[in-house]
Amino acid sequence: MDENINRINLPVSIEISDDDIYEAMKNISGYLDITPADLKEIYKFAYRHAWERITQSVKAHDIMTKQVFSVKKDTPLKEVAELMAEKSVSGIPVIKEDGKVAGIISEKDFLLHMCAGDKPHFMAVVAEFLSGKGCVTFPVRLQKAEDIMTSPAIIVREDATVVEISNIFFEKNINRVPVTDREGKLLGIVSRADIVRALLITGKPLT
Amino acid sequence: MLRDYFNKMQGVTKSPPAVNLSEIMWSWIGAFLGIATVALISYKVLEGKGLTMIIGSFGASAVLIYGAIKSPLAQPRNLLGGHIFSAVIGVTSYQLFNPHIWFAAAIAVATAVAFMHATKTLHPPGGATALIAVIGGESVHKLGYLYAIIPTAAGASIMLIVALLVNNIPRSRRYPEFWL
Repeated sequence: MDENINRINLPVSIEISDDDIYEAMKNISGYLDITPADLKEIYKFAYRHAWERITQSVKAHDIMTKQVFSVKKDTPLKEVAELMAEKSVSGIPVIKEDGKVAGIISEKDFLLHMCAGDKPHFMAVVAEFLSGKGCVTFPVRLQKAEDIMTSPAIIVREDATVVEISNIFFEKNINRVPVTDREGKLLGIVSRADIVRALLITGKPLT
Repeated sequence: MLRDYFNKMQGVTKSPPAVNLSEIMWSWIGAFLGIATVALISYKVLEGKGLTMIIGSFGASAVLIYGAIKSPLAQPRNLLGGHIFSAVIGVTSYQLFNPHIWFAAAIAVATAVAFMHATKTLHPPGGATALIAVIGGESVHKLGYLYAIIPTAAGASIMLIVALLVNNIPRSRRYPEFWL
C-alpha cells in the first residue's frame, strides 16, 4: 500500500476536466486570448498556490491549546493518572524546573508498563484483568513521571504549519505534540482534534 | 529526440469557443468607425500634403482593439507602445541597411518583436508597422522619423479613442483591461 496517499500535504483535488474549462470559457462573452490547455494549467497552478497559502497560513500558534496541563519529572504516577483523568486528556507533557519540556506521557506509556504484555492496548489490560489473575501493578521502582515518560519528546515550534504537524502525527504515530519556544519552554499543545478543527475551518470553499 | 521535435507539432488542445452574436456585431461597429475615422482624416484632410493617417497595420490593430478587446495584445499600452517602438525601429533599420531591403525588412520585424516583448508592448500590427517602414515605398521613406508620429502615433491614438468610446457602450463589454 502506498503510504504516501495518507500524507495530507498534496492538494485535495485537481480533477478539473478539459470540458469544465471549455464550458467555463463559454461563460465569458468576449474573445479569450488563451487556449483551453493553458487555462487548465493556470487553474491547477492557482489552485495549488491557494492550497499552499491556506495550509501554510495556519500555524501551531493559531490552533494550540495554551492552557496546558503538565507534570514534573518527580510527580508520582498516581498523581499523573489522576490529573489526566480529571482533565480528560490522553497525554501530558513532563516539564523541568525551568519550564522546558523533558518528555511526554501518554496513555500508551501507562499501558506499556501495565500487565498488557507486548501490546500497549487497553483491551489487553481488560483481558488480563478478566482472566482472574488480578492486575499486577508496576514494579516498585516505577513511581515517578520520569520513569515512564517518553523522552526526548517530539515537539514543534509556534510557526509549524498544520500540514507539518499532521505529517508528524502520521509518521511518528502520535496524537499530540507540545509546542515550545526556541529554548524548549512549553507554550501549548496541539492534538489531533485541533488539526481536524483547523482543517474544517480552512477547508471552506474558495470564493 | 527527433521524434519529440516533430511530436510537438501535433497540437495538444482545441480552439477556444466562438463568440456570440453581440460580440460579432460590436466588433464590426468598432472596426468600421475606427477605420472610417482615420481614413476620412487621411483622404479628406491630409490629401495633397504628402502625409497619411492610415497604414495597413491599422487594419490589424482594428481586429485586436475592436474584436479581441480582452486580449493583452489589444490593450492601449500594447497598441501605442507596439506601433511607436516598431515604427522607430523600422525607420532606423531602413536608414541603416538600405539598399539591402530584404535584410532591412528582416532586421526591422525581428527587432520589433524582440523589443515589444522586452517592453511588454507586444502588438502584432507593430510587426507590420516596422515592415511598412522598410517596404512601404517612397512616400513612407520620405517621412523619415516623422513616420512614427504621423501616421503611426496619431492614427493609433485616434483609433484608441474610438475604441474607448465604442467598446464600453454595451453592458457585456469593457475596455481597456489595463493601462499600464
